[in-house]
Amino acid sequence: MTPKTETTPATTAVEPEHHSSALRDSLLLGGRAIREALRTPDSLLPTMFIPLFFLVVNVGQAARIFPSEATPFLEGQSYGAFQLPASLLLSASFGGAALYLVEEIEGGYFDKLRATPISRMAMILGRLYAEFVKTIAVATVMVLLSVLVFGIHIESGILGFVVLVTMVAIWAMVFSGFMQLISLKTRSAAATQGASMIFFPLLFLTPNFVPRNQLTRPMEIAATINPVTYIMEAARSLILEGFEGETLAKGFAVIGVTMVLMLGLSVRMVNNYD
Amino acid sequence: MSAITAVGLKKTFRGKDGDVDAVRGVNLDVAPGEIFGFLGPNGAGKSTTVRMLTTLMTLSAGQAHVGGVDVAADPHGARRKIGVALQEAGLDPRQTAREILVLQARLFGMSMASAVVRAQELLELVDLVDAADRRVKGFSGGMKRRLDLASALVHRPEVLFLDEPTSGLDPASRITVWDEVRRINELGTTVFLTTQYLEEADQLCNRLAIIDGGLIVREGTPTALKQELRTRKSMKTDPTLDEVFLDATGRTREMGAGEVKEV
Ligand SMILES: Nc1ncnc2c1ncn2[C@@H]1O[C@H](COP(=O)(O)OP(=O)(O)O)[C@@H](O)[C@H]1O
Ligand SMILES: [Mg+2]
Repeated sequence: MTPKTETTPATTAVEPEHHSSALRDSLLLGGRAIREALRTPDSLLPTMFIPLFFLVVNVGQAARIFPSEATPFLEGQSYGAFQLPASLLLSASFGGAALYLVEEIEGGYFDKLRATPISRMAMILGRLYAEFVKTIAVATVMVLLSVLVFGIHIESGILGFVVLVTMVAIWAMVFSGFMQLISLKTRSAAATQGASMIFFPLLFLTPNFVPRNQLTRPMEIAATINPVTYIMEAARSLILEGFEGETLAKGFAVIGVTMVLMLGLSVRMVNNYD
Repeated sequence: MSAITAVGLKKTFRGKDGDVDAVRGVNLDVAPGEIFGFLGPNGAGKSTTVRMLTTLMTLSAGQAHVGGVDVAADPHGARRKIGVALQEAGLDPRQTAREILVLQARLFGMSMASAVVRAQELLELVDLVDAADRRVKGFSGGMKRRLDLASALVHRPEVLFLDEPTSGLDPASRITVWDEVRRINELGTTVFLTTQYLEEADQLCNRLAIIDGGLIVREGTPTALKQELRTRKSMKTDPTLDEVFLDATGRTREMGAGEVKEV
């Protein structure tokens, strides 16, 4: 091998042209995470097709029990309109960010990143930003398909559509953020995979088939305690009713509080990572 | 000023079944421009020491400076002074070699334009130009090591830490890595490398330390260490570094050979 020449002496440290900021670092790492997702469509596609599958199957099975003319809670729409929020929230509950993160921890690349002078928080936020972007894309396609193929109508209009998709995407960040905490704590793919099963109770102890006031008493209590209920109800109100101030406020309050909790725990976890 | 100093470095891992004292009071002083070898059997505490010196792990006790910067008090400052290639060449398999280097450079604060230039320089330095735009997933062990080495150099660190840079490589790739380490060192970078290959240490290192059970048991130039053993044991010919190692770590040649060579 022939020796190569360096243009500058090796020890002349490169002066940073940019000061490390949490935002710049997060966007750099987020861009990489998006590229990673695009290169692994086999892990991205299920986040769209599994929820769409459930939507079709659930509607296929229950639509005759809930005909739109005779079911007041459908507000004149098909049962699919009522089911769509559950499908959107399912697509936000795959915790993809955490699975990539734990792979990176196990593979050692996470340590390589930790050895760079970047904001520790950017290692969390970068992947969450990517999760946001991915979910915006997936949820947009899902809602568009629902409108164009299943004839679902978004009562709150274009603006409501934007609010709906954004709300789902922010929830995807919160959920993935909690999963990332598990990845950082356990550093094990198996444990992270296991913990992601939390989406079962979170998603199914909700008024996902009928409104809350029509659930059996124990289910109603469970659904009332479950924070996801309020996100589902907010999403549903955008589709069936339009802009319902109080319902939306409750949904966003749940997202806001859980986001703050997740970020607080993440700061502690990543700063004390040893 | 020293490139690396450590005083009373200790690391205790707290675990369910008791504590492990992985490093029990290590002192180091590495001069600028040296290639310093850190040898020791499996589990001696080499990687733990490297992780403490490179800000990846907190110190249980003691102090360490790299390039004059206190690793505990100013970790970001220390990170700008050092490059790290860890024992497991941790690379993102879904990115290309070039993408990894550009990202790494940008994380050290370079603009996109400078990062692209720097990545190309490094690809040339480690002879990966032809593979630059292929995803790392398909790289051989030797290519991954070289890419890892390159990514440790993006910001022209003063001190380069290499934790077993040649473990698991075939002999030809091993020699390629040695050449690269020498070349990087000739450009002025201090190199701290751990290894289990004594021949590697003998070939490359100006000075070395042998660690066993978390404590440094020998330190000096390869020649001085051999000389010391020869005098102490009244040997007729100069011993090899293997013999120095076996003597230092209290392993007999018979039981030691297997342990040292099996990596
Ligand atoms: N994260 C950890 N938790 C608990 N024990 C550890 C951890 N890392 C290393 N050890 C223990 O510390 C000792 C030194 O390990 P290490 O520094 O990896 O040795 P070497 O690199 O010399 O082979 C070993 O006994 C190892 O089992
Ligand atoms: Mg080791």
